[in-house]
Amino acid sequence: MTQDELLDAFPGVRVDQDNAAYYGGLLEDRVLVNRCDDCASWHHPPRSACARCWSRSLTPTAVAGTGTIVLLTVLHQGSRKEGADFSAGHPLVAVELDEQPGLRLGGTVLGADPATLQLGERVRVVVRRLEGRGPRVDFERMS
Amino acid sequence: MSPSRRNPARDQVAIVGLGRSPYGRDRVGCTPGSLVLDAAIAAARDAGVAATDIDGLCGSTVATAYVQAALGIGRVSWFANPASVIGNQIVAAVAAVHSGMCETALVYHNAYRMPFASRSAGRDPMRRRAMLGLAETRSAWGTGHAESGANSMFGANAYAAWAGRYLHDYGYGRDTLGLVAINSRTNAGRNDNAVYREPLTMQDYLAGRMVRDPLSVYDMDIPVDAADAFIITTTERARDLARPPVLIHASSLGSTDYGIEEQLLDLDHAGQVVVAERLWAKSELELADVDVFYPYEGFSNIALSWFENVGYCGRGEGGAFVRQHWVEREQRILIDGRIPVNTHGGSLSEGGTQGAGHLYEACLQLRGEAGVRQVPGASVALVTPGGYYFNSQGFLLRRDG
Ligand SMILES: [Zn+2]
Repeated sequence: MTQDELLDAFPGVRVDQDNAAYYGGLLEDRVLVNRCDDCASWHHPPRSACARCWSRSLTPTAVAGTGTIVLLTVLHQGSRKEGADFSAGHPLVAVELDEQPGLRLGGTVLGADPATLQLGERVRVVVRRLEGRGPRVDFERMS
Repeated sequence: MSPSRRNPARDQVAIVGLGRSPYGRDRVGCTPGSLVLDAAIAAARDAGVAATDIDGLCGSTVATAYVQAALGIGRVSWFANPASVIGNQIVAAVAAVHSGMCETALVYHNAYRMPFASRSAGRDPMRRRAMLGLAETRSAWGTGHAESGANSMFGANAYAAWAGRYLHDYGYGRDTLGLVAINSRTNAGRNDNAVYREPLTMQDYLAGRMVRDPLSVYDMDIPVDAADAFIITTTERARDLARPPVLIHASSLGSTDYGIEEQLLDLDHAGQVVVAERLWAKSELELADVDVFYPYEGFSNIALSWFENVGYCGRGEGGAFVRQHWVEREQRILIDGRIPVNTHGGSLSEGGTQGAGHLYEACLQLRGEAGVRQVPGASVALVTPGGYYFNSQGFLLRRDG
């Protein structure tokens, strides 16, 4: 895939050289997170150095996609452009992945009644196709 | 590494001029630039300095080149437009004055209601156009966020999520945040510059329209058109000028390597922790010396964390502290029955200017010019603008002599 094709697949997203592999992975329904080749620690969002050992050698690596909700809000207001149903309350979470403490991804929780969501709840990653914006990471309940 | 105690600029640089463009929710015909010019001219006149006396410029989003040309400030030897408000501008100017890059700096910040932040602003076609290039500004800094919107832990969304985490972890209800909002509103009742002055009851607060759970309309700063400006110079020169100098005793910024929203490991890793540690290490003053306290409350939960981080109480105890020092008959916080908090009404009621209003009010109090809300004998102010990630800042200011 060319850089132009990747950029065209994600209008409205700031795709750059550092995060191209992450977004490229989403097009294949895979969640790739940078892992250090030297000390094996994980890092997100994608950057070109390992914050732990300063290695410049990182490999986008598939994660298991399971984790725990560590931050949770429900949005009741926003612009129409954002494509969310604010009238019902739109949940937004940060999820700590099982791979490493502090390794977090953000997104919404699909198909969940926002009033019943709780901190500490287990969720799994879903790669969701969004019209006019390209695929993105969100979550669903594990139960 | 223990925090450095070095502070060669201690009390050597002063704020000697104050100016502002009145805060408003319904102003028309103004641009960000015109607001800055209002404040800048007022500050220079307050200090008694002319364009030819100003040799340094430092502002937030309005370019220094614009202000210099618009005010005919012939020659400046130092200028900067750093990003975070208002601490970045002030500490840069302190460093510039103290190091000799300039002698007298004009520092400014403005707020401008954007179409997404206010319904009336959204009806203004020129404000819509003024957003050109502003979308995704944060991501363009390269902090790591590549997307914004309803599915992104970004800006206000993330502050709401951290507020929820705080209430959950320490067992508080929303009424705890409500005390911060009511305190601001009560104090705003004595401030003609405040955009919301009518009393707010806990019942009103709890019935407030929920925006980003658990933050309601009363927990988030009020969009205003406004500007504040400060003249900063050496204490030596300040003593020859028109107004009483406010000495910058200690100042610090603070940031950790968890500098974006959802990646912040926990509140012990907030930039606020760094600010407090450095501020006290550099200071000859102690918390007990503080007469007035200005914790930023652009989101109400941020203020609770400042109480904790500056040392009034431990982690998670900010909510209990505020309740313990709540004076029911006054409907506001008085620490130890003496020290008021955000005497101007803060970002929640005076209007949201990202901490510039807090700093301005602290200077007024130390000059003894706060009118009906003057705190008798106020001689030391602790001002802590900014939130958790990339914009935590703190200042210890004191009256001269
Ligand atoms: Zn490494």
